Amino acid sequence: MPTSSKSLAPQRLPATYRTEVVLLVVVLLEWLYFNSVGPRFASLENSYDILRHSAEIGLIALVMTPIILTGGIDLSLGSLLGLCAILFGKLWRDAGLPLPLAGVATLAIGALAGAFNATLITRLRLPPLIVTLGTYSLFRGLAEAITHGVDTFTNFPASFLALGQGRWLGLPAQAPAFLAVIVGIWILVHATAHGRAIRAIGFSAEGARFAGIPVSRYTTLVYSLAGIVTALAAILYTARLGQAKADAGTGYELFAITAVVLGGTSIFGGVGTVHGTLLGVAAIAILNNGLVHARLPREAAGVLTGALLLLALSGAMVPKMVERLRAHRRTRTASPPTPGSPAPP
Amino acid sequence: MKRYFRELSVTAALLLVLGGLAVAAPSFFQAQPLLSLATREAPTLLVACGIALVIIGRQIDISVGSQFGLCGVCAGMLAASGWHPVLVLPAGVAIGALLGAFNGLLVAGLGLPSIVVTLGTMVTWREGLRWIRQGQFVDLPRDLQWFGLPQAAGQAILIATALAIFALLALAMRGLAGGRHVYAVGADAEAARLAGLRPSWVTFKTFVILGALTGLAAMMNMVQSPQVDPKSGTGLELKAIAAVVVGGVAITGGRGNLAGVFSGLLLLACISPALIHLRIEAYWEKAIQGGIILLAVIADGFRRHGKG
Amino acid sequence: MTPPLLELKGIAKAYAGVQALKGVDFTLHSGEVHALLGENGAGKSTLIRVVTGAHQPDAGSISIDGRALHYLTPRQAHALGIACIYQQPALFPELTVAENIGLRLEPATALRRIAWKRRRQRARDLLSRIGASIDPESEVRELSMPEQQLVEIACTVGAGARVIVMDEPTASLTRNEQEVLFTVVRELRSQGAGIIYISHRLEEIFALADRVTVLRDGSSVGSTGVTETDEARLIRMMVGRELSQVYPEAADSPGDALLSIRELHAPSVGIRNVSFEVRSGEVFGLSGLVGAGRTELAHALFGLAPITGGTVTLRGKEIRPRNPAEAIAEGIAYVPEDRRRHGIIGEMPVAQNVTMAIHRRIFPASLLQLRKEDRLSRQYIDELSIRCAGSWAPASSLSGGNQQKVSVARWLATKPRLLILDEPTQGVDIGAKVEIHRLIRSLASQGIAVLLISSDLPEVIGMSDRIGVMRGGTLAEILPGRSEAPAVMAAALGQPAPKAESG
Repeated sequence: MPTSSKSLAPQRLPATYRTEVVLLVVVLLEWLYFNSVGPRFASLENSYDILRHSAEIGLIALVMTPIILTGGIDLSLGSLLGLCAILFGKLWRDAGLPLPLAGVATLAIGALAGAFNATLITRLRLPPLIVTLGTYSLFRGLAEAITHGVDTFTNFPASFLALGQGRWLGLPAQAPAFLAVIVGIWILVHATAHGRAIRAIGFSAEGARFAGIPVSRYTTLVYSLAGIVTALAAILYTARLGQAKADAGTGYELFAITAVVLGGTSIFGGVGTVHGTLLGVAAIAILNNGLVHARLPREAAGVLTGALLLLALSGAMVPKMVERLRAHRRTRTASPPTPGSPAPP
Repeated sequence: MKRYFRELSVTAALLLVLGGLAVAAPSFFQAQPLLSLATREAPTLLVACGIALVIIGRQIDISVGSQFGLCGVCAGMLAASGWHPVLVLPAGVAIGALLGAFNGLLVAGLGLPSIVVTLGTMVTWREGLRWIRQGQFVDLPRDLQWFGLPQAAGQAILIATALAIFALLALAMRGLAGGRHVYAVGADAEAARLAGLRPSWVTFKTFVILGALTGLAAMMNMVQSPQVDPKSGTGLELKAIAAVVVGGVAITGGRGNLAGVFSGLLLLACISPALIHLRIEAYWEKAIQGGIILLAVIADGFRRHGKG
Repeated sequence: MTPPLLELKGIAKAYAGVQALKGVDFTLHSGEVHALLGENGAGKSTLIRVVTGAHQPDAGSISIDGRALHYLTPRQAHALGIACIYQQPALFPELTVAENIGLRLEPATALRRIAWKRRRQRARDLLSRIGASIDPESEVRELSMPEQQLVEIACTVGAGARVIVMDEPTASLTRNEQEVLFTVVRELRSQGAGIIYISHRLEEIFALADRVTVLRDGSSVGSTGVTETDEARLIRMMVGRELSQVYPEAADSPGDALLSIRELHAPSVGIRNVSFEVRSGEVFGLSGLVGAGRTELAHALFGLAPITGGTVTLRGKEIRPRNPAEAIAEGIAYVPEDRRRHGIIGEMPVAQNVTMAIHRRIFPASLLQLRKEDRLSRQYIDELSIRCAGSWAPASSLSGGNQQKVSVARWLATKPRLLILDEPTQGVDIGAKVEIHRLIRSLASQGIAVLLISSDLPEVIGMSDRIGVMRGGTLAEILPGRSEAPAVMAAALGQPAPKAESG
């Protein structure tokens, strides 16, 4: 956590923003580099491509942010995307629901799944990590069971596919939904008392409880919200690829968490911003796309992303380590062990 | 008996499934399918034991699947470049230990949360594998498969090795001071410090042991086929964690034992053959696995709160 | 003459700027039970932590058998034969009794076989030596508190410790268990061990101890043989001769009963059969020892612990809050004891801490209005003279006293009818203390009912219009304000009130 033992000197730029400034520079450097090596990289067309391909992970990263801000985590969102995608297909093709209705039902299913996670976490006070690890398996397993592992849903009408492949006012069709979620989550986290409460829970759930903040209710809120938006991502995914399969969204939760942590959100909760997360998503998405343009193997992006995550984490610990070392040295110089006494370990 | 209620109930569930299979599908108990089941699960058993150590010490490692793949591919490439099998196998284990030490350093040394650290190494190793192999399998020299022995002999060696190491580990966790220190650190790191232990050192060691076991498991997997799949080990972490949690190891640390993990692993391993023999579609396997994990976790939750 | 077993010289220790120990001297001889007395917060716990190596002192020296060290680590303390029985046993709840004892007594080397049979046998021997009937095979989390304590004592006995610290070992023991314990302690003494014995029960000290040292405000007030003193004198040493500071004048006369509690029961936190009234404008002090149930009573009133029986009436309306939000809605505010964990959120700015309990009121439609928030928080910063770099400064960057004022400001902002203050001046410097006292009085004069929980006797006596003394989860006595300190202390200890001496 930043700024705990700092002096009282005014500091206008909180530590979290510094992460975001660094990340912004990284994103710009990426952009400049790929621009210099791949002539087509900077085209508007390619930018739209990047947006299209990062919308779903972006959505999950966005709703992962408030969860991590409360000090929690949700590993089940990638699996939930797969489950929602095939349920959406199932409702439309086999149950014969009109697409809009199937879409609404899918969102409701997403919300329920999120609420299920939240119930286990709050009622039984189980660690979110292990609960969502269980539902990670469960949701993906249900998706496989429903499709028998092979069934895919295709032949969606063109009007629906336009949602993932078409244009809207010249922008990729995902843009309005993506933008709406960005604005919504940004307002929730940064402009409302709810965001304040979520942070307070992340810093100290007990402290928040003593201040009268309903901790369980907020936990339910953030996990359910994650469910709904993941269902939305599932619909966009289906529209973009034109098919719904049980393995949709595999590993998305990992990239989402990476983007969130990269964006300066502390895994311990409390600290972090939505724009930081967006920058994290951008950094990963541009890397992925740019490496192709630079004729470098796409897999390099994964390695770089993982390495970046570890570096960001370790980097965040450096001030703490320095402080600990300094404190250690202080006690040692203050009272050096007398000769003959056993050395401290 | 009350202390081992969890372990006993898992074993009872396992016996129930086996009993059900004996009635409904006696074909399950033929030697060949059982042998292949045991061979398939032997590497997973080692990884599950390693994960159990880490979880008992109140940490977690989700990068074992990637470690497994990386160890297999690296050792395979060493073998392909002409290393003698006697050197390749220890090298694979050493690589695993090194990867584990890396996680351990970040977790115990820097005090980072193990879930994110191992998430990072999981992605890095897996994508690194894809990068260097581009999905290509590593062809192994012939004399490596089944250690150059006939298949049945090779299988016997594998199963015996896995069981021996499992037994050694189980004994060590029960009867060696070092094993009990893991429990102490997982139960209460501060109390462990007051009792004169060094919690971060203990944590570091559990990660190294897990890495070495994962390396060994990868070697066991490698000798079963003429090639190494760079995707091998994908999802292994979940299988292993599921076995550990179902086997009664508390995710909050300090509780559980390897015998329970053994039962848990077998119970999960029997699901898919049971499904086949009971003519239920195999696609339900993962969902049932997830359900069992959740049930186990929920049971632990109730158990904890029942005590107040 | 042989050097003393343990000799502390000029031990000083500060936490976050608060001086917990100010140069304490303490000597323990072998074959001696040395009692350590003092009010809550006098520095006893800190002194113990220094002796056991859990904390390192800022200054001073520790001599063991005449060999001087500057500080100890837990490992060193262990090796030198220093053992402690904590109030909260430092045991491993998931492990068995035999294993807990084994982990303490066996060397910390990893590659060593564990002889379970011998371990169990040793545990059984040790437990029977101290007269405890505990199955070495049971898990520690299944044991009751006194049983856990006996396990701790067994560890100590087994370690053959020469310096044994006992921190209120009898607090949760029955009479019989106490007798067993005393026998064990006397046995240890006769074997040449030195025992530092902390207890609030004076009769125990006279029954067991050879010498007694009294701590007050982080300094040693004096050491004396128990035969050379009596209970009244010890109580006076603990509380000081007079009220050390001037407290603001009480209001003219409190108004009508604002809060009235009848036969309140909250068994989950050990509260039973509590009845009293607090009038508007009144400061009602709650005194008692640690564990007497004062904080727990506050938790029950604030919706943090379920009330199962009795009635709570606030302004004529019967209430039973199920969570803090409901309590806040009824006009109850609670400034908690543990400032760092519950009172403030250190990472968040002062302004956000101040408004944390009034989101609904100042942010219509939940939309943040930072300027409004800033204005409001500045108003409280001025009003309570909170010294900080600005309303945006993280609360943890403030000094202890100012953090406390932030915590109080949060609850004043809710415009409460009933304000519960739990140890409001603990770990606060004298200047801030005076300001907080003045603030409490002025709040009361505005018609708020104040429930003041404090272990600081002069404070609770100087501030309160009436003093309720809690003992064992219930309200044992109600004394008038400005009672004599020894009388309050005696009530808390369950002793007959000592005769007031002149002077």
